[in-house]
Amino acid sequence: MILDLIQNSFDGLAMGSAYALLAVGFTLVFGVLRRVNLSYGPAIMVGCYAATWMSVAFHSNMLFLLGITVLGSVIAGAYVERLCFAPHRQGSAIAAMVASFALWMQFEEAVTLVMPKHLYDFPPMFERGPLAFGPLLLRPEALVMLACAIVICAVLQFLLTRSQFGLAVRAVIDAPVAAQLAGINVPRVLLLVFLLASAVGGLAGWLIVSTYTQVTPMLGMWSTLKGLLAMMIGGLGSLRGAIVGGVALGLVEAHSQWFLGPQARDLIAYLLLFVLLAWRPRWMTIQSAS
Amino acid sequence: MSALLEIRDLVTAYGKIEALKGVNLEVQQGSITCLLGPNGAGKTTLMMTAAGILQPRSGSIRFAGAEIAGRPPHAIVAGGIALVPENRLVFPNMTVLDNLHAGAYQRKDDFASDIERLFIRFPRLKERSTQLAGTLSGGEQQMLAVARALMSRPKLLLMDEPSLGLAPLVVEEIFRIIVQLHGDGVSIFLVEQNAHMALKVAQHFYLMEQGKVTFSGTPGALAEDEVIRRAYLGSAKA
Repeated sequence: MILDLIQNSFDGLAMGSAYALLAVGFTLVFGVLRRVNLSYGPAIMVGCYAATWMSVAFHSNMLFLLGITVLGSVIAGAYVERLCFAPHRQGSAIAAMVASFALWMQFEEAVTLVMPKHLYDFPPMFERGPLAFGPLLLRPEALVMLACAIVICAVLQFLLTRSQFGLAVRAVIDAPVAAQLAGINVPRVLLLVFLLASAVGGLAGWLIVSTYTQVTPMLGMWSTLKGLLAMMIGGLGSLRGAIVGGVALGLVEAHSQWFLGPQARDLIAYLLLFVLLAWRPRWMTIQSAS
Repeated sequence: MSALLEIRDLVTAYGKIEALKGVNLEVQQGSITCLLGPNGAGKTTLMMTAAGILQPRSGSIRFAGAEIAGRPPHAIVAGGIALVPENRLVFPNMTVLDNLHAGAYQRKDDFASDIERLFIRFPRLKERSTQLAGTLSGGEQQMLAVARALMSRPKLLLMDEPSLGLAPLVVEEIFRIIVQLHGDGVSIFLVEQNAHMALKVAQHFYLMEQGKVTFSGTPGALAEDEVIRRAYLGSAKA
């Protein structure tokens, strides 16, 4: 029982760090633009499909596939930004969200046209199986997920608080008109934030598909849902909240899957969100992204 | 003296409603020029259009000979215009120092000495340099907004109602700073409700009513009570 708890907690922590990365990407866009990008997950899916296509055609190595996944996600993300978000900067948030839903459908149709099978194999991150530590099993993928989450969060924290780009991002979040008056090219900052978010999302996508070793068109919806869920649990709009939300989601899922069965896993996760939304603790108010 | 800023037939509209209905005015190099007028006359709209935040529907804005109407705000800042906006608009969740750094966003050269000099001019900002700007008093925020605008080393400083909502002593301080900046060679285009103070410092003033310039002259050209009446209430025929 205790061993199960420890094992589940570790598995949940690893999956949770992938969720945290998904939520961090979501939060960057939401924190700066105050817009929900439903196409966030589908853009990641496009990146994963690009890498899958490469691996089917050329049997490329895993780091190259990571690069392709991130690049594909960034290009798809740029396409979303130009079509859905750049034109609606002053306009309605709903218009941008609905437009991003349209691109979601477009992405799903596009990948199924190019790669029509329902499921493709994705090369595993590591060929070897889990490492045994006494009675506990540690998957090396889990350690990589954890390490990636920690490194990316540290890099983002540094970027936002110490760099010139971070200064611009914080200024845009704080007072967009004043940022323009200070000479900051606000549309360019928004595009860069979007690309950065897509790159973080692409990394999360690669971590997930190379752990599960398969890709389906459902990955888009799955990523958007997990990212949104983790972001909302963590309290909308702060990076720290996104990380906490992601890890909490991973832990809740791992434990409920083990103790209540796989059918209960998502049920419990949504129940958690429902309870939090109904209860609305203080930290769930919208915060700034820094 | 030559015209640093030259605005011709400028029209800016919100949807179908024209806030500026063909504005003509000039700001001379090295002057303090003041724009007076009642609420809703279009003064802030004119400032926001000159700074590039609002897009004009037609007309021309020439700055130092170059057309800038419709250009994006960051390009206008790069050209040498900085706006101290109405209600200050500092970055409330950033420190005073970060606010100043944001003001220098486009500068590639070292601006540490600028901050030193601004801290001498605004000692209160130095005392509070690590405080969040949102925690400053109204007057301190106004100083910060001016200091932030100066960080871009503008040739022309646009100021939109810098005395709004401030205590009389702070208003005097603000106007003292305006005169100092003018002495340093910055041209200033000032929107004011406080006609009495504005007429003391300005070399030239314009009266704006309902989206049009209705009077232009030097501070002695119109009796002050007449100016104040029209600046607050608009002309009788309106």
